[in-house]
Amino acid sequence: MCASVKYNIRGPALIPRMKTKHRIYYITLFSIVLLGLIATGMFQFWPHSIESSSDWSVQKRSIRDVPVVRLPADSPVPERGDLSCRMHTCFDVYRCGFNPKNKIKVYIYSLKKYVDDAGVPVSSTISQEYNELLTAVADSDYYTEDIARACLFIPSIDLLNQNALRVKETAQALAQLSRWDRGTNHLLFNMLPGGPPDYNTALDVPRDRALLAGGGFSTWTYRQGYDVSIPVYSPLSAEVDLPEKGPGPRRYFLLSSQMALHPEYREELAALQARHGEAVLVLDKCTNLSEGIPAARKRCHKHQVFDYPQVLQEATFCVVPRGARLGQAVLSDVLWAGCIPVIIADSYILPFSEVLDWKRASVAVPEEKMSDVYSILQSIPQRQIEEMQRQARWFWEAYFQSIKAIALATLQIINDRIYPYAAISYEDWNDPPSVKWGSVSNPLFLPLIPPQSQGFTAIVLTYDRVESLFRVITEVSKVPSLSKLLVVWNNQNKNPPDDSLWPKIRVPLKVVRTAENKLSNRFFPYDEIETEAVLAIDDDIIMLTSDELQFGYEVWREFPDRLVGYPGRLHLWDHEMSKWKYESEWTNEVSMVLTGAAFYHKYFNYLYTYKMPGDIKNWVDAHMNCEDIAMNFLVANVTGKAVIKVTPRKKFKCPECTAIDGLSLDQTHMVERSECINKFASVFGTMPLKVVEHRADPVLYKDDFPEKLKSFPNIGSL
Amino acid sequence: MQSWRRKSLWLALLASWLLVLLGLFPLLRLSVPTSPWAGAPQGWPRWLDAELLQSFAKPGELLEDGPRPPQALRGGSCNWGACFDTSKCRGGGLKVFVYPAAGPVSETRRRILASVEGSRYHTLSAAEACLLLLLSPDTSTGECDPVPPQWDGGRNHLVLSLHPAPCPRTFQLGQAMVAEASPTVDTFRPGFDVALPLLPEAHPLRGGAPGQLRQHSPRPGVALLALAEDGGRWHVAGTDFSACPWDGHCEQDRGPKQTHPGATLPNATFCLIPGRGPDVLHFLQALQAGCIPVLLSPRWELPFSEVIDWTKAAIVADERLPLQVLTALQEMPLTRVLALRQQTQFLWDAYFSSVEKVIHTTLEIIQDRIFGPSAHPSLLWNSPPGAILALPTFSPSPSDFPFYHLQQGSRPLGRFSALIWGGAPGQPPLKLIQAVAGSQHCAQILVLWSSEKPPPTRWPKTAVPLTVIDGHRKVSDRFFPYSAISTDAILSLDAHSSLSTSEVDFAFVVWQSFPERMVGFLTWSHFWDEARGGWGYTAKRTNEFSMVLTSAAFYHRYYHTLFTHALPKALRTLADEAPTCVDVLMNFLVASVTKLPPIKVPYGMWHQEARPPPLEPGGPGLRQEPQPAAQNCINQMAAGFGHMPLVSSRLRLDPVLFKDPVSVLRKKYRSLEKP
Repeated sequence: MCASVKYNIRGPALIPRMKTKHRIYYITLFSIVLLGLIATGMFQFWPHSIESSSDWSVQKRSIRDVPVVRLPADSPVPERGDLSCRMHTCFDVYRCGFNPKNKIKVYIYSLKKYVDDAGVPVSSTISQEYNELLTAVADSDYYTEDIARACLFIPSIDLLNQNALRVKETAQALAQLSRWDRGTNHLLFNMLPGGPPDYNTALDVPRDRALLAGGGFSTWTYRQGYDVSIPVYSPLSAEVDLPEKGPGPRRYFLLSSQMALHPEYREELAALQARHGEAVLVLDKCTNLSEGIPAARKRCHKHQVFDYPQVLQEATFCVVPRGARLGQAVLSDVLWAGCIPVIIADSYILPFSEVLDWKRASVAVPEEKMSDVYSILQSIPQRQIEEMQRQARWFWEAYFQSIKAIALATLQIINDRIYPYAAISYEDWNDPPSVKWGSVSNPLFLPLIPPQSQGFTAIVLTYDRVESLFRVITEVSKVPSLSKLLVVWNNQNKNPPDDSLWPKIRVPLKVVRTAENKLSNRFFPYDEIETEAVLAIDDDIIMLTSDELQFGYEVWREFPDRLVGYPGRLHLWDHEMSKWKYESEWTNEVSMVLTGAAFYHKYFNYLYTYKMPGDIKNWVDAHMNCEDIAMNFLVANVTGKAVIKVTPRKKFKCPECTAIDGLSLDQTHMVERSECINKFASVFGTMPLKVVEHRADPVLYKDDFPEKLKSFPNIGSL
Repeated sequence: MQSWRRKSLWLALLASWLLVLLGLFPLLRLSVPTSPWAGAPQGWPRWLDAELLQSFAKPGELLEDGPRPPQALRGGSCNWGACFDTSKCRGGGLKVFVYPAAGPVSETRRRILASVEGSRYHTLSAAEACLLLLLSPDTSTGECDPVPPQWDGGRNHLVLSLHPAPCPRTFQLGQAMVAEASPTVDTFRPGFDVALPLLPEAHPLRGGAPGQLRQHSPRPGVALLALAEDGGRWHVAGTDFSACPWDGHCEQDRGPKQTHPGATLPNATFCLIPGRGPDVLHFLQALQAGCIPVLLSPRWELPFSEVIDWTKAAIVADERLPLQVLTALQEMPLTRVLALRQQTQFLWDAYFSSVEKVIHTTLEIIQDRIFGPSAHPSLLWNSPPGAILALPTFSPSPSDFPFYHLQQGSRPLGRFSALIWGGAPGQPPLKLIQAVAGSQHCAQILVLWSSEKPPPTRWPKTAVPLTVIDGHRKVSDRFFPYSAISTDAILSLDAHSSLSTSEVDFAFVVWQSFPERMVGFLTWSHFWDEARGGWGYTAKRTNEFSMVLTSAAFYHRYYHTLFTHALPKALRTLADEAPTCVDVLMNFLVASVTKLPPIKVPYGMWHQEARPPPLEPGGPGLRQEPQPAAQNCINQMAAGFGHMPLVSSRLRLDPVLFKDPVSVLRKKYRSLEKP
């Protein structure tokens, strides 16, 4: 093919000399090309057979072709469910074993069609929803094809609706599954349990030890911590588009949309409507609908016809009373419409109640109190109502919307039980994304003033300024609370001075040699750091008095979750340039402290080294600048709190201080620092720094009081 | 001919390029089998006829359930909706009546009774009560109580037993709820019964020992694990714990590391507690010690599991996977270890450290069930200061409280209300009102008039609204949650306080950074008086302080609610009798909530020189130096709280350029620096 192309390219030049015998050649060439084209076309448009060769042979089958299994009438039936089952008694956790990813492995039995001795099918082979559910599981990270490695087994026998199956024969089908073993580690999904006349609240199919993910459990059938309560899926959500409606007051205060309520309930509701008029709307089945309109999509009040589920968006509260079953698909519709469900079903275990905080999205009213429902709801303040409306919609989006959402939430709950140390938190389950985004969970949230006796570890980062380093060491060693001094020797080309040359100080002095000259070495969580408090200090900071350092430590003890430092800096929004600007002038505000001399909790070293967002750490090492700004960003972002600047302003020997000295205006330095702020703000996706107008001084600082009696007299003296 | 040939040539060229393009892509796709879009997920087949499948429920089947009467009670099983009658609690919320003891009262029982009686829900009339509390028979007296008079099948009763009952009950429980220590999972009825912690016999009535955690992160070199052993002892495992599973095979290295029954608190990062019955005592010990409890398949319900999110403070693991648990503990990220450790301490201090806290938490849970939608949100239960100190009646929204701004991503309102407590004869405090009204952050001025004499009819004209409220001439009235207070921040003032606008402005800006603390100008400090064997406090200027005077202080309006509705009445009466006590009480209250010291901001010395002579005690006025008699107040407060909550601070927050050698013109709060 390539050759012919090349030939063709050269073609036009040859044309004048061509003879008739060439014509045959051209025709042949032409027809070959044409044939090739046709072949390619067929290749392309043949239905999906080439792209995914893997499912070529096995995947594309018809449900009619699934193998048939004949169940002898006397094949074993599992025992009824064991109500005392708990994870540690009925679940074989050994199958789950150790898993570095903390994910359980789920196996799905292949689809079979079960018939009894007479050849009558046990149930419809599989419903659309169960097929969707199994597809979702198979597409997830949980899925494994290897039955030997699996921790959880899901039969492909469809149990979603008990009415659609024969109880005993289905149980026999379960019992003959290859790994059944009394149902251990088997997960069954069921949304519509029980049947007339007494509608049990859990699946009637004998299932022995199998876990049941059921819709409509009551407190009597639900095995706390073993079963999973799931929603009853509403197929409407796949058919209708219901755009989100913001929270706020709606036309009806209370609405009932369920058809076929118990007459007692209907009377109660009618009485409510009579008492409160327009605010309450009780809907019922439409009796005189013309042909062709699905009854499920219409509701009527007297002669008024309403579209369902759209009408739900017109109401603030929607009652969800028990029907024959406790679990009602209407709950899903109600949440979808952002209507707050009012659950009137006493013993009902709400969907995913193990992890979802239903108090935030629903109101539960005892059945006996149905007549008081209006006054109970009236007492809820408007702000809380809006919060609940938002929460209801979020629950639907996250856990009710699709069969896939239901399946994955169920598996996640079981996964969290088996790997509790990697479990998802309450906030992850319940907080809507908008809340998650705005909230800060301070890693050092416990209000606690560490004991003074613990002391602090000073970390001096040095390259080769030995003389200045020794002065710093001598000065710092005078601070009473110093418990250890760590010198980080960042120079690979030169050895640190001999042991005998170092100043003799009263606390242990350790020298750590680094592998590379990187700024981030200052913030490495060295094993040598034993105290919680760390003082980062440059090897040229000799203007801090011992009183100032000791006071700085005392301030850190009162604010152990903050950066406590001496020179303060500020970030400003430059309106002209529309970006952040670094400011080191004498301002009334502070948002950063330089880590050339700062106390902080050693945990932040761990965060800096291992949890710094984006490429900031490498960026700082590459640019040899702004490690202190990065630390300020990190701490402010994770704690949501401002820095504390200690003691009066003084001239610090630091690169940018030359600007203040007026010796040389180091503009480029300031520009670089401003660049850092802009870069970090974009990586963090926000500006975490907090601006404050205060600094910390000793209680009696500059007061008219005898200096001798002050704890920290020597402050601001150098 | 030639043109035909040229045309055909061009056509061939075109066609071959097409061929290349069309043919190459599928080939490329085939040659890269691992690309994500190539390998469709294996396993569950994509059925050709999936579209034709039926829905699991026939249309209408979901909607048209056969009607059915409300379910009757079954076999004595109860749940909240069916067995508790909330209509009795409708008016005044939860009212608790406790059956008086018939015979001699044991120490534990006395503590429980005292706790219930000290609760804000207690009532003396059984008729008015909506919850009747029956203490289960005592261990020491050994007498089994007869059926109580108002039993009524156990309806609205709570049978409370802090310790396992020594004799079987002589009556059926009926519809009564059970609050017992460490109930087994099998009999516990979630949402109806209450799981209590198993308390040691000598658990203190109130206050209680603080948590043992002194620092946020584990000390380096501390043992990873402590194993619970019989008899309340702990076995601290060394680093080589892999050789020591916890089911009794540790004999070989039981050596010097073993702790003795006296020193019962474990010193380790994690505490392994078997899920068998007798080990529940270990659970509280671990909590107090800040040792993260790792519960191995507990057979008992965790205490207060209805409201406490134990996943934040403990790990419930499977006892059958010891090695997996160990590996997971070893590899647990530091961030989570820190969070778990701190949560154990918070929970211990908030709900478990005293009998009173345990009883109040129990009642608070029942109250929450009655409240329904206006109960404590989970956040209030599971983050400091805890649900007993965060009253849900204050506001349904956590961002109205001073404690949850970080979690909520909110901030306090940007204005304050000045609340001036007046009542002395003479002119209204003109200078003070003008100074306060001059602040850009001031939203309103409220004058709380508490004198027999009528308030002056003329008040100075101010830029902000000025309202006069008639007080009830009790000192504790100044901390009543007046509905007129519309802002988060309150600036509490006396008629004789002296402040400048700059001072007010700066203090308010500082308060916005610390909305849960008190920010004040004048301070006191407390100390332990060895000679008198009690606490004392002084107004002398020292290097540290632990209280700020409420005659000039910013704080959150929530503390008014807490002061009025959560403090025991006895303490408020005490404050009314000795007016200097009210400052102490307010500081005690805030410190016991925040566990942090108040904040001091600069206060010009010139105010103190220009002060009028102190007024008669009892009336509003300056309370600079505590009277010797009032010294007793701090000790009574400490007894009332059960411990000394005050915390000292050694710092003052000044403006950034305070008294710095720069031009005064640069300084925002320059008038603070007047000589």
